Amino acid sequence: MTRTSAPGVRVKDLTVVYKTPAGELPALGGVSLSLAPGTITGIVGESGSGKSTLALSLLNAVQPPGRIKEGVVEIDGLGDVVKLTGEELRRARGRQVGYVFQAAQNSLNPLKTVGKQLLDLGRSHDFDDLPALLKDARALLGRMGLDGGRVLDSYQHELSGGMRQRVGIMFALVLNAHLVVLDEPTTALDMITQAAILKIVRDVHHERGLTTLIITHDMGVAAEVTDSLAVMYGGRVVEHGPTTEVLGSPRHPYTKGLIRAIPRLSGDIDEARALPGRPPTLGTIPKQGCVFRERCPLRIAVCDTVDPEPITRDARTVACHAVGRLATPVVPKEYV
Amino acid sequence: MITASGITKTYKQRGNLLGARAVPALRGVDFAIERGGAVTFIGESGCGKTTLGRIVAGLETYDGGDIVIDGTPMSSLKPRHREPFFRRIQLIHQDPYSALNPTRTIHQTLAAPLALRAKQTGRDKAWMEERARELLALVGIDPGYVLPRYPHQLSGGMRQRVVIARALTVDPEVLVADESVSMIDVSLRLGVLALLKDLRERLNVSVLFITHDIATARYIGGDGELYVIYRGQVVESGPTESVISGPIHPYTQSLLSAIPVLHGVERPGPERVVPTEALNEAHPDTGCLFARRCPFRTDRCEAAAPALVSDGDQRHACYHPQRRDVIPVEAVA
Amino acid sequence: MTVTSPVAPAPISLRRNFWRGVGRVLRRKPSRMVGVAIVVLFVFMGVFGPLLYPNPLPRDDNALYASPSWAHPFGTDFEGTDVLALVVTGTRYVLLAGLATAVITVALGTLIGLLAGFHRGRWDTVLMRLTDLQLTIPGLPLLLVLSTVWKFTSPIEMGVVLGLLGWGGIARAVRSQSLSLRERGFIEAAKGLGLPTRHIVVRELLPSMAPYIAMNMLIAVTGAIYAQVGLFFLGVLPFDANNWGVMLNLSVFGGGALSSTAALPYLLAPLLAILLLTLGIVLVVDAMDEIFNPRLREE
Repeated sequence: MTRTSAPGVRVKDLTVVYKTPAGELPALGGVSLSLAPGTITGIVGESGSGKSTLALSLLNAVQPPGRIKEGVVEIDGLGDVVKLTGEELRRARGRQVGYVFQAAQNSLNPLKTVGKQLLDLGRSHDFDDLPALLKDARALLGRMGLDGGRVLDSYQHELSGGMRQRVGIMFALVLNAHLVVLDEPTTALDMITQAAILKIVRDVHHERGLTTLIITHDMGVAAEVTDSLAVMYGGRVVEHGPTTEVLGSPRHPYTKGLIRAIPRLSGDIDEARALPGRPPTLGTIPKQGCVFRERCPLRIAVCDTVDPEPITRDARTVACHAVGRLATPVVPKEYV
Repeated sequence: MITASGITKTYKQRGNLLGARAVPALRGVDFAIERGGAVTFIGESGCGKTTLGRIVAGLETYDGGDIVIDGTPMSSLKPRHREPFFRRIQLIHQDPYSALNPTRTIHQTLAAPLALRAKQTGRDKAWMEERARELLALVGIDPGYVLPRYPHQLSGGMRQRVVIARALTVDPEVLVADESVSMIDVSLRLGVLALLKDLRERLNVSVLFITHDIATARYIGGDGELYVIYRGQVVESGPTESVISGPIHPYTQSLLSAIPVLHGVERPGPERVVPTEALNEAHPDTGCLFARRCPFRTDRCEAAAPALVSDGDQRHACYHPQRRDVIPVEAVA
Repeated sequence: MTVTSPVAPAPISLRRNFWRGVGRVLRRKPSRMVGVAIVVLFVFMGVFGPLLYPNPLPRDDNALYASPSWAHPFGTDFEGTDVLALVVTGTRYVLLAGLATAVITVALGTLIGLLAGFHRGRWDTVLMRLTDLQLTIPGLPLLLVLSTVWKFTSPIEMGVVLGLLGWGGIARAVRSQSLSLRERGFIEAAKGLGLPTRHIVVRELLPSMAPYIAMNMLIAVTGAIYAQVGLFFLGVLPFDANNWGVMLNLSVFGGGALSSTAALPYLLAPLLAILLLTLGIVLVVDAMDEIFNPRLREE
């Protein structure tokens, strides 16, 4: 069964741990995040924030030594992905959830033409009508400004970085998945190519009626294409809300600091300020209390002992003791 | 003071039996760096900006033109006599992970060039220790913490600071920073950029900044010169702020138009230039190199190459110069 | 920022840290400790073995091809000499020859590989042709011919000859490693800082290749052991040297170990020794990567 409309995604209290010599360390510490059907959501975070782990969890594809310890990943039409196994899971990947891997430029098989790899994909998902699949792929590639026939006959080395990236997006979409996850879709691409790819992502998203998730470390990329933006730090979602609001009036001190640390072309360049300290790694994420407190200008006593709950006010979720404690009544639920 | 004039470089790509194919990386580039100044090269990958940086740092040879360092043309010297000149120009690599030897502690890494320096200037071991600590403190890290450690025990930002400290052991006049923050975590990048900016002021070191991120160029070298390089050629240059706020060449305009807009903080600029085609090295070399991708091209563009001409304080190589307002505007809350 | 921390790390403490790290790496897997124990045992036998027994070894004419017993755990040989004693006293030759081979292959291979890889160009072409030449020399036939004129009474001679026949592989591997390492940022930086070539090669390049070289060296030792034992087994070398290969030869061709059981322990003892020594080396090789990589060493 394939859905024809955009699915919603609900991640609840997801904890993913990695086994290390120092014991099991949490890469994700009870993350809750919802993707509204038909929206583009961005997840922004630095290395070690857990953003890629979260993306992999949507496919239940966390590789050992990592494992999903607890939590629910509910995708409309699929149910709880965490409970899927074996064949069911394999079918879901590609058919229902399309995934563009980090460094998709390098994830093609160098020994086979793109077309041949596409046929392999079709066969492994029991597609009867392979010519139709090729036709779809050609149309998609044409849609992205490429000569579909030529690209399908090409080997990886005959395509430029930007072209490979588009081929990766085609692979994620061609099986008619309506949930698409793009992990760092534009790293290692040039500004002009990046702009072109982001435009394609946005256009295809609207044309096909998708739910799209973009993982990136680049605030600009997220700002350019997303409707809603989640900021991750130390394995937590620290802030989530509509993109323009999160960027325009950030509430969490990390989001604020991050935005101020980006040199921009507009405004006074000397107002850019570096964030003190450095992001935690898997081993240095504090076991209790707020994960950001070491770098936080608003640190108060409670931050040392209690991990702040995400709290939603005015349709925006923030996990911070210092800003969550304001007068308005709070609803302990997250922004959708 | 370093001046480069008409630098050309052609790579030979291994071809078939009939001979190698020549790939031009630089097609005659001129620029000058003053003491304590800042010069930025921007362009897409493969435009030759990295090659240019490596040539300036003496890590690669050039085919034509000349580099003059403090009045001495390098072409007048034998290769081994050039070395002391090029040592005044230190390259900060893009990748702080491969720029430090993983098998050596930071102490060992700094000690080697310092020992050389001590021998040249007749100083002793105590001076070396002192200097290592001084340099690490200068780049903003705690020497006691860093010195006994191996590179893998440090964050990307710290490593890049160590790399900068190592470059400073030879008291350079110029630091060539090639995409020096692109592999560092976002929240740490500005710290390293601020350090480079700070070094310009405190040590009067010039910075040659090579990047595809124009906003970082604005941060480090807002008062310096910006060179826009396309397929091995400078297509526009001028004071950084002028070029950013009033780009003349359509290629510069495309680059600036492609920069993501931080919606909520900014809104898109009034104009936007998008190339009609993707970058293709196979495009003809005759005429304007950008012509095939340019939305404003005319027959004249494909016939003969436009020369770099002055226009106010900017220079550009375009037959149809027109300033366009393409960069994002700060949103008023 | 003010400088507060007191003591500079002295090189001595670094070295101590290294050995502490080595200990940690070896303890990480029990198999490595077993390997170390085996290798240490053989080294002990090599060094002190001949001192433990009288020279020449006593014979017992009443116990030819005796079965294993408390007095002779592996029985006796054709002239009633204790087999265990033969194995123990034979260790020195085997190990010395192996070590000599390893030193020669590693020294020559590393030197030639480094020169070729680091300087490239003409050096590279000449040295690599030389390497090709070495690799095409058929080792065994040459050894057979050589043995007709040269008796290899000293294990060092044996080792040198085997070493000269075996450095080609390492040279090639080291060359390709240095070709890839010389493009690394830290090598370029060292050049840019004007550090002398000697420093770059010895201090920057070599340590990065150390695990590789160490692994190759240990594998060369096992190769050399097989080769010399093989030569003695084939009987192309005189029997006056006390060697495991000689024991194998005598047990098979003299004692008929393959057809009767009497000489079986005589055959099995040296075989077991070779097997055990190889096993020990293989188990230790497993740790090399972690020993020379500071990151793997400490975590």
